Amino acid sequence: MAVVDKTPATVAAAPGALVVLGGATPEAAGQWGSVWRALQRNRLAMAGLYIVLLLFAVAAGADFLANNKPYYMVYQGRIYFPVFRSGLVRFGLGKWQPELLNMDFKTVKAERIVFPPIPHLATDIDLTAPFEAPSAAHWLGTDKLGRDVTAGLIHGSRISLSIGFVAVGIALVVGVALGALAGYFGSWIDLLISRLFEVMLTLPTLFLLITIAAMFPPSIFLTMTIIGLTSWVGMARFTRSEFLKIRGLDYVTAALALGVPTRKIMFRHILPNALAPVLVSVVLGVAGAILTESSLSFLGIGVPAETVTWGSILNEARSATFGWWLAVFPGAAIFVTVLSYYLVGEGLRDALDPRLKGTK
Amino acid sequence: MRRSLFLAAFLSLTLFSLRGDGFGQGAAQPVTGDWLLNHSLSDPEQLNPLTSNDASASEVLGYIFESLLQLDPRTLEFKPLLAEARPEISKDKLAYTFKLRRDARFQDGKPITGEDVLFSIKSIKCPLVDAPFLRVYYDSVVDAELLDPYTIRFKTKEPYFLNEEQLGSILVLPRHYYDPQNLLKTTGVRDLLGDPTKLPPAVKRFADNFNKNYNRSPLGSGPYKFAFWKTGQEVQLVRDPNYWGNGKAGVDQPHIDRMRFRVINNPDAALIQLKSGDLDTMELTPIQATRGTNSDRFKKQFAKYEYYAPTFSYIGWNNASPIFRDKRVRQAMTYFTNRQQMVKAILFGLGRVVDSPIYFSRPEYDNSLYSYPYDPKKALALLAEAGWKDTDGDGVLDKVIDGRKVPLRFEIKVNSGNDVRESVALTLQDELKKHGVAASVRQLDWTIFLDDVKNHKFDAVVLGWQMPATEGDNYQVWHSSQADNKGSNHISFKNPRVDKILEDYRREFDEKKRFEMAKEFQHILNDEQPYTFLFARKAVTPVDRRFHGVEVLATPTGLSPIEWWVPRSQQKYGARETAN
Amino acid sequence: MAAYLLQRLLLMIPTFIGITLLCFLIVHLAPGDPAELMAGGGLSARGGAGISLQKRGAVDQALAEWRALYGLDKPLHVQYLVWLKNLARLDFGNSFKDNRSVWEKVRERLPVTLKLEFFSILLVYIVAIPLGIYSATHRDTLGDYATTLVAFVLFAVPVIWAATMALVFICGGDFLYLFPPGGLTSIDYARDWPLWERIKDQTWHLFLPVVLLSYAGFAGLSRYMRSSMLEVLRQDFIQVARAKGLAERVVVFKHAVRNSLIPQVTILAELLPGLIGGSVIIETVFSIPGMGQLGFDAVLARDYPVVLALLTVSALLTLIGILLSDILLAVVDPRIAFGRRIQ
Repeated sequence: MAVVDKTPATVAAAPGALVVLGGATPEAAGQWGSVWRALQRNRLAMAGLYIVLLLFAVAAGADFLANNKPYYMVYQGRIYFPVFRSGLVRFGLGKWQPELLNMDFKTVKAERIVFPPIPHLATDIDLTAPFEAPSAAHWLGTDKLGRDVTAGLIHGSRISLSIGFVAVGIALVVGVALGALAGYFGSWIDLLISRLFEVMLTLPTLFLLITIAAMFPPSIFLTMTIIGLTSWVGMARFTRSEFLKIRGLDYVTAALALGVPTRKIMFRHILPNALAPVLVSVVLGVAGAILTESSLSFLGIGVPAETVTWGSILNEARSATFGWWLAVFPGAAIFVTVLSYYLVGEGLRDALDPRLKGTK
Repeated sequence: MRRSLFLAAFLSLTLFSLRGDGFGQGAAQPVTGDWLLNHSLSDPEQLNPLTSNDASASEVLGYIFESLLQLDPRTLEFKPLLAEARPEISKDKLAYTFKLRRDARFQDGKPITGEDVLFSIKSIKCPLVDAPFLRVYYDSVVDAELLDPYTIRFKTKEPYFLNEEQLGSILVLPRHYYDPQNLLKTTGVRDLLGDPTKLPPAVKRFADNFNKNYNRSPLGSGPYKFAFWKTGQEVQLVRDPNYWGNGKAGVDQPHIDRMRFRVINNPDAALIQLKSGDLDTMELTPIQATRGTNSDRFKKQFAKYEYYAPTFSYIGWNNASPIFRDKRVRQAMTYFTNRQQMVKAILFGLGRVVDSPIYFSRPEYDNSLYSYPYDPKKALALLAEAGWKDTDGDGVLDKVIDGRKVPLRFEIKVNSGNDVRESVALTLQDELKKHGVAASVRQLDWTIFLDDVKNHKFDAVVLGWQMPATEGDNYQVWHSSQADNKGSNHISFKNPRVDKILEDYRREFDEKKRFEMAKEFQHILNDEQPYTFLFARKAVTPVDRRFHGVEVLATPTGLSPIEWWVPRSQQKYGARETAN
Repeated sequence: MAAYLLQRLLLMIPTFIGITLLCFLIVHLAPGDPAELMAGGGLSARGGAGISLQKRGAVDQALAEWRALYGLDKPLHVQYLVWLKNLARLDFGNSFKDNRSVWEKVRERLPVTLKLEFFSILLVYIVAIPLGIYSATHRDTLGDYATTLVAFVLFAVPVIWAATMALVFICGGDFLYLFPPGGLTSIDYARDWPLWERIKDQTWHLFLPVVLLSYAGFAGLSRYMRSSMLEVLRQDFIQVARAKGLAERVVVFKHAVRNSLIPQVTILAELLPGLIGGSVIIETVFSIPGMGQLGFDAVLARDYPVVLALLTVSALLTLIGILLSDILLAVVDPRIAFGRRIQ
């Protein structure tokens, strides 16, 4: 059952998925404007877009939202900004002031101190408070090691989104490259690459992912790569059809006759027009990658021990069934994220496909 | 009117007394009957007594097979079982002679003779039998011969105080079942010590047959016979009504008619089964023990038993690494580890801190050892004393070692799938972060993990050891010779005084003297802290209250279901089975 | 038709070789050594109790013996060819864990997973098809909107979340006990129970897993059905039918539905690749002894023969599924078989 295998290949089975930019012409820019306007009319898709942007903001600002260091502190007469300082230190752009080295900000006696809204890091262990239900101190509760769930969700969004994007990025590069080659050159190249498509489609993807993730030492990089390398087929197929279609068009034949080099034709003329359907796959692909990554960390494989992800928190609820907050919140986070991306993706698909517009 | 009243009274009185436990239970006599629904977390891999390797299998096989001696669960001394008495030991401590009892029989009725014991040791020693790890354990046995049909003499390589225990725990297999064609007849134990390729083809045929065809049909001499095994669901054993030991003194009398081992991979699903009465007992996880099993209803139905298994967890520091070479650093690490809090939070209080590699309930465990408290200040002082300072203001301590500046940065390796050890590592890492020690945690799959451990490719590991409940031999783990040969001395602990103690220990047959040596051994380790000893875990096992005779014993498994029985009136299952 | 069949079959072979080679390489090049796992106390031990001192006398010689026993000491390409050769005889080798025939282990578990999958697919079709028809015939009404939204939302609910929520809230934890938290049957399930009792028990156990496996498919299939119906309804022959005076219901059910059902068959080919992978999660969470669970345990235990066998079986089933759906499509729409060009 393609339950977790929600890659674009599956979703794209519905007819109307093959998008044709009605009359592909070199003036792609004007097209995008009308697409954007069409998207704006879709209220659900816009809602999804806002949530996606919100998630981006949360992921980007995770260190500011949830941190065990204060924003601002007046200590022994001097003013400090520990959160910013730690950022500098992390990137090697600065050092800690010697008096702040390894200070426990929660117990220090400062004249003024302002903490972020969630004064914990996702990895802060507190063995005196394991499995606490949601409370004022921990808004969404704590897990088995006393780690704050809210912080876990916030920092976890960073991991989920980065895995989603890098994985899809890899899939995009591989997929478009192979699809373009197959669609443009045709003949035996196409045959070979199409066989590859078939191999990739018949591979039991999730099981293979589990195999690889479980057999190699856990690392985020590995997870990103393998998800990317197993989900490029949809994009490749779209690219290929587009290239096949567009290649036969007059203006391309004309360009070839004029002696325009192959590479220029592929990159400057065909590719921009062929990318539209791929865009939908990209958006849906991010959602799929996030789902896959959560499933892997749910099964306990793919991410290293120290890392707290949505899937890993959810996993704890299996053995601590009294800890309902460990099941409800991380799962809801995954759900909302995936749903938003789907709404945007579907909205984009509808906006790009004039043929189905009448039947919507 | 009067008559009917009298009749009613008479009838009710009779009915009452027929209930059996109505009035005056008194000291009830054990009776047979009923079933015990056990829980297994996973299927045994297979039920071949020699080639199987996992805990589920050993549990099941323990009911089916017997050995020459058995461990008395209360005194932890060896008593004869299939042998008539403990063996006669030669003066040079190299020859052990066992006399078998004449009345022991296998489950198919055939008598147990010396030939079967000889066959059993031959099977173990045969290099083509798929039991390499068991074989290494019996490495010291070099010969075995029958002096008469019921007497067997073993010869060992060197004097070793555990020889008797090892020989006494050989499982006695029926030769006529496991080697029906007597293919091993002409091959002696000495012949099996040589080059495996030079062995006669008959031996090869035997080994092939043994390895392949006996994995799901064990036959022994024990009180329970193998009934069936539904893969992924259940293994069932049935009490042998013709057990040779029935009614014999000194032999455990079985009472439960059937032992059923229900396979449920998910411990939480198993708990639900337990609560709904579909399991009679299971081992609880710490969370379940402290939070899931405290309702009145549960307490009415089950009695909970707590006991310690002879295991302990530890953090092993690579004593050969530049950072951990210095014992002050190792001591500091122990001061950083809040062991008491870990027991409270990670084990939910079900455990106790230990400070030595010896099972803490054994007489030779030294209770006067210094138990390092959680004291980060003292730890920092030790590190400073050892020369660690943060000279570059990056938040991490460093020191110049061998001419290079080395930051106090290292990796703790744990195996994936073990919650407790992972939690320990993460907690320590978080604590160290606050004090300028940059530790990271690496989770590895068990195979890779073991590989790294064996090849000493680690800075620190969190692991555990399982010990026998009887006196152990620490040579394997702590002798310096076991460090370079990929033996069990993973952490490369090399201490000449400890080496000498361990060598003498093996040859010392006077128990009192051994205990003295053990005390000195533990004191040295206490000071050196080659491991940060963590804790021993407590197991919590609820048992349905209808079972009588349940007691926590000193055996490794804590409980001994073979002694349990259910009064006839409370028996739940197997009503149709005839009492015997 | 026969030519078409032959062509498809022949094309399957290189694909199959490609898959098996890829899987073989991945499985064998991954780090980790099954021999070491044996040293730790059984291939299924995840190092729970620690290393047993009694077994720790694992010297290299012991490991070498074990490796030789399983042919792990030969070079990789030789191992692949040997494996392939045995595959031709349907011999998947023996499991590293317990030396049993892999095929036997797979065969034991296959019926369970198949049962699970069969009922899930059935449920998906039973729910999604009518939903799609309803949506199409009541286009742009509130009902259409609502069903589309609900289906969509369901599609987005992650299985891991739904399964965990079920486990926490309705499977006997601290809240409700409506369904069992796992297993196929109750503890005292017996062969001699009356048929009705047995069916009831199995249904009670399988209900949640089947629903959880299928709910995500409702969205996809119903929308596919919907657009397919809409497509058909726009066709001329429907106008003709209406002009002929046929009742709307007849038009819809007899003509539109029948024609739009055809492409739904191709969905089967899409659903099959997830057969083993998708059930891993459900089988793990609900302790169901199926192929997914077998596969997962085998992966963790480095039981190469079993892992390879399952990957192969899964790929084979998928290929067969694709072939079947193509054949069905060709049977129903002859244009495909005769006028088909390799796309």
